[in-house]
Amino acid sequence: MIGRIWAIALNTFREAVRIRVLYGILVLVVGANLMTIVVGQMATNEEARVTQDIGLAGISLFGSLTAIFLGVFLLYTEVQRRTIHAIVSKPIERWEFVIGKYVGMALVLTVLVVLFAVAMLFMLALQDIPISSAIAKAVVMCWFEVMTVAAIAIFFSSFSTPFLSGIFALALWVIGRVTPDLEAATHSASSTIKWTSKVALQIIPDLHLFSVSGRTIDGVTVSVHGDFVSWGYVGLSALHGFGWIVGLLGLAALLFHRRDFV
Amino acid sequence: MADPAIEVRKLTKTYRTPFARKKVEALRSVSFTVERGHIFGFVGPNGAGKTTTIRTLMGLIKPSSGAASLLGHPIPSRAARARVGFLPETPYFYDYLTVPELLDLAGRLFGIPHAERVKRADRLIERVGLGRARSQSLKKFSKGMLQRAGLAQALMNDPELVVLDEPMSGLDPIGRKEVRDLILELRDQGKTVFFSTHILSDVEAITDRVAIIARGEIQSQGTPTELVAQTILGVEIAIRIAAEVPIDELTANAAKVRRNGEDLSLVLPAGTDVDAWLQRAHAAGAKVISVAPRHETLEDTFLRQVANADSSPAALEGRT
Repeated sequence: MIGRIWAIALNTFREAVRIRVLYGILVLVVGANLMTIVVGQMATNEEARVTQDIGLAGISLFGSLTAIFLGVFLLYTEVQRRTIHAIVSKPIERWEFVIGKYVGMALVLTVLVVLFAVAMLFMLALQDIPISSAIAKAVVMCWFEVMTVAAIAIFFSSFSTPFLSGIFALALWVIGRVTPDLEAATHSASSTIKWTSKVALQIIPDLHLFSVSGRTIDGVTVSVHGDFVSWGYVGLSALHGFGWIVGLLGLAALLFHRRDFV
Repeated sequence: MADPAIEVRKLTKTYRTPFARKKVEALRSVSFTVERGHIFGFVGPNGAGKTTTIRTLMGLIKPSSGAASLLGHPIPSRAARARVGFLPETPYFYDYLTVPELLDLAGRLFGIPHAERVKRADRLIERVGLGRARSQSLKKFSKGMLQRAGLAQALMNDPELVVLDEPMSGLDPIGRKEVRDLILELRDQGKTVFFSTHILSDVEAITDRVAIIARGEIQSQGTPTELVAQTILGVEIAIRIAAEVPIDELTANAAKVRRNGEDLSLVLPAGTDVDAWLQRAHAAGAKVISVAPRHETLEDTFLRQVANADSSPAALEGRT
């Protein structure tokens, strides 16, 4: 089983690294990190804040967008180009194929997140800004966010076209990032808004968990520039993300299992 | 006694058009059996249901009803697929891979250890004649080369049963002969080969049994000899006769009359008194070159059965 999943993952990685758009995104993120020198100098004494904020935002934003892009295309094109015919006719279960595609995507996204993080760390080092453990925790949480978004995209891609999957995944990512607003909406006077928010909170992954800077947790306002969350919190949010990843991939595998490849 | 290589019982596949009540029956109660060690030809015109049947057997499509088994395992079966080699119709592969990479991927999915994968891939690449193209990506392959690569990946697991969907498609006459030879070689190794085609000469040349499918239904099955009616359809005659001799009387009931100078060829319909016709020809000064009975060919059978299927009540109802 592991060997078959790994075979699909390696092939997916090989396929994904040939997508030129990824290199464009990489250049964009590295460019954004380089810009922090200029922007940091404009904001006197705020170089560290600017570099960290832009660096982390780059990982979260471009990592998630890349996850959506890869997720909606890589599975769909297998079916559309019929390359899947020569694969699922071999002794591999369809769920193994879905997991393999996800693992391959996860490998590519991990490489990207690492490169984005290295670019940010390089900029911090260049400006003699000390690197705190908060940065490491924030990067790990960004990585979990990206992995969760990839699972969302794969889920939609298992039954829909890239365009619709992209729209759905993007919508879920945006809504998932504003769960505090949804929570506030559950106290709305309008019963429609109230119940819609309640349902949304149940069926949408809470991606805001991974982006805690500025939030008040246990009575403390956390910030990557000051007091930040503990590794325990990182572990719990990772567990939350992992739960969604398993659930979404399980559903994707179930839907994929029912499909006819004509 | 070993299970048949393939057993298909009343297999049906119906597609329903989304948002409409229309349904299309791609397969209608298809049944046939492929014995082990046989070469089985699955013949039908385009859209007959050949590929749907094969994709159902390989687990790509779920049947609406009916049952099938591969090597004794009911489909879809991972255990069976481990012992089956499959060449899809017009094979689509990852075009960024080279042939060794494609075969390595196939080998990994079959769980073949690394050293064995490399050994088998090398042997198969040479066997299908792609030795010179091993470093090229599949993107640069011609259709025929892709077909060869497809055959190689289908044989990576040294399968007991080989299922080939239109294996001769896209190949030139030399390539087709090579595939025919490969199929015969596989049978000599004790493997079962099931292949679909609409090239009837290939079927007549190499198959042990044939099934003809049209409009989603099996029209007939048996050995090529069994399928072809043994009755004589007519007698083909070639004579040489002086160009100025009128031949109207000789060709009165004949078909396919061709005259080229002194050479005259024609087909007399079944039941004609050939002896009397030959006496008249001799009397007219003709010299007989050849006289041969004309039996029904597999092509005749195929065309007749496809025509029957097309005029069946279901076909006339538009299969809805």
